[in-house]
Amino acid sequence: MRLRCRTDVSQCIARDRSTGRHFLLLLISVAATWGVVGVPSAQGQHAKPAEFEVKATYLYNFSRFVEWPAQVAQAQGDSFAICVLGEDPFGAALKATVAQETVAGKSVVTKQVPTAQDAVSCRVLFISSSEDKRLKEILTSLGTATVLTVSDLPKFTQRGGMVQFVLEGNKVRFEVNSAVAQRAGLTLSSELLKVAVNVRRSVPSGD
Amino acid sequence: MNMLVSGTALLLAGAGLFAYDLYSFRARTVRDLGIQAQIIGSNSISALVFDDSRSAETTLSALQAAPHVMSAKIYTADGVAFAEYRRDPRQAAPPPLAIPNGQTEVYRFQSGQVALVRLITFHGKPVATVYMRSDLGAMQDREHTFAVIIAAVLLMSLLAAMWMSSSARRSIAEPIVKLAETAQIVLREKNYSIRAPAHSGGNELAVLTSSFNEMLAQIQERDAALEEARHHLERQVQERTAQLNAANADLESFSYSVSHDLRAPLRHIGAFSQMLSEDYGTKMEPEAQQHLNRILAGVKNMSRLIDDLLKMAQIGRKEMVRVNIDLNLLLQDVLVDLQPESGGRQIDWRIGNLSSVDCDPGLVKQVFTNLLSNAVKYTRRREIAVIEIGQVEQEGTSVIFIRDNGAGFDERYAAKLFGVFQRLHRAEDFEGTGVGLSTVQRIVRKHGGEIWAKGEVGKGATFFFALAAKGQGLAHAIKAAAGAS
Repeated sequence: MRLRCRTDVSQCIARDRSTGRHFLLLLISVAATWGVVGVPSAQGQHAKPAEFEVKATYLYNFSRFVEWPAQVAQAQGDSFAICVLGEDPFGAALKATVAQETVAGKSVVTKQVPTAQDAVSCRVLFISSSEDKRLKEILTSLGTATVLTVSDLPKFTQRGGMVQFVLEGNKVRFEVNSAVAQRAGLTLSSELLKVAVNVRRSVPSGD
Repeated sequence: MNMLVSGTALLLAGAGLFAYDLYSFRARTVRDLGIQAQIIGSNSISALVFDDSRSAETTLSALQAAPHVMSAKIYTADGVAFAEYRRDPRQAAPPPLAIPNGQTEVYRFQSGQVALVRLITFHGKPVATVYMRSDLGAMQDREHTFAVIIAAVLLMSLLAAMWMSSSARRSIAEPIVKLAETAQIVLREKNYSIRAPAHSGGNELAVLTSSFNEMLAQIQERDAALEEARHHLERQVQERTAQLNAANADLESFSYSVSHDLRAPLRHIGAFSQMLSEDYGTKMEPEAQQHLNRILAGVKNMSRLIDDLLKMAQIGRKEMVRVNIDLNLLLQDVLVDLQPESGGRQIDWRIGNLSSVDCDPGLVKQVFTNLLSNAVKYTRRREIAVIEIGQVEQEGTSVIFIRDNGAGFDERYAAKLFGVFQRLHRAEDFEGTGVGLSTVQRIVRKHGGEIWAKGEVGKGATFFFALAAKGQGLAHAIKAAAGAS
């Protein structure tokens, strides 16, 4: 799990040198993004992590609370791929988040995929909000591939997505559709469902 | 004393158990708290990961069911408070303890509470710390109960011990002590009429006590029997003594009167024979003169015999005096008296030093006179007579001896020596009445002493006598002296 640090570095519990370096990187990207994007979640307190950073962290952490079917786990080489389809909102944040991490013994990698077909080898697929128009095609292409679909597109879970980021006040939350996940052979941990703001249990029919 | 020992033992045992229980209860409390913290933490991981403090609070609220948990707080890995539960919302929790590097858990007991902080990890990385505080009410209740139980058990045990001890004392120790005391009293006062108080119970103690009493009774019986026998013997002795005394008295008065009465006619015979010899001696035939001389000699002899008998009888009649006499002086007197007999003879007098003695001077002079004149008489045939007089100490008694190198006597007939009219020599060899030594024996015995003699025919004789019997050693001393000489 990635540790969240404030700008006051002394509060971080650094495990090793490389982690420290990545913190620094994160810090820089935070500072950079701060000026560029403006942090919507900042409330005049100490600078909080940017929304996309939080989402990046969550994106990675979802994998901790989801079970892939056994055959999938064995296949797909020895890398755990988190892919982004469409416009990448994370920048370096996602890369930084997953650096040095492993999931079930496989090292985590991030990929940018151009099409849905390319995404079938991913474990987690983030569908950018830029793909709103083509969502249906994407999801149809994916079919029941064992890929955890995550997006912050509105009504994503109603439209056949598995995990949808929502904003509650200034907190990043998410809702899940356990039926869709189940159809794809994925098991969402009850721990995950516990913290989801909403759990849908129905597969969208048709359109 | 016993009570103290057993009381202390119980107390120590109780304290030990109590301490152990306390220790193990504490350990258990900490363990349980740690488990609770872990459960809380594990169930709050997703809440932490996805920053859902409400979910964490829901999890924490389950602690309502744990009556002793005062508060629980979840901190993120950064040390930021995330979610909290407080049993009493008014009481704020103190700051948590820091977990040292490398440890998962840290706890501290303080002011009636136990505080525990546990590190929660998720996939090997620290993700939160759970800080829990529990009051020690349960433990205190337990301690209290335990203390009460120990006190109660202790008290009951002591009471039971006291009761048993006193009952044992009554049934065992006391009778024995009494018995010992009685034995002591009996020994001390030599009073065998005392009895130990009888002991009921039919056990060995009763047997002991009654046996003890029986033994005392037996002792008493024996004492009584002994006393009676003694009395009986005393009586017998008294009787015999009386008889003896009577007999002696009779004998003495008989001797006296006989001698006395014999004297008169003898005097007549002597006197008239003498007159006859003086007046008509020249007118008689020589043979007739001889007969007359014979009569006169016989009269003289008889006269002496009667004198000696009278003297012997007198010894018995006279009261004995006890005066301290220097025997050396007495001896000198006697030697002077003996001059008529000893003068004109070659006599080697070897005189030792004699001591002073409490005795009757007249009687003891008689002893010396008789013994010395015997010595002189029986050494007549020797060219040089050796007469030795001395004194030896035998077992605390002074024994005087008179030794001569005269005719001696056959020791086989030693007993006869001191018999009245007993003579171991023929009258032709040595004249004598046979009364001298028995007189000496009487005198010596009258002084409470004893006389004995040793001799060898042709070699000589030694007479030993002791005048006073010192305790009961006299008989032994006599024997020893007799053996030594």
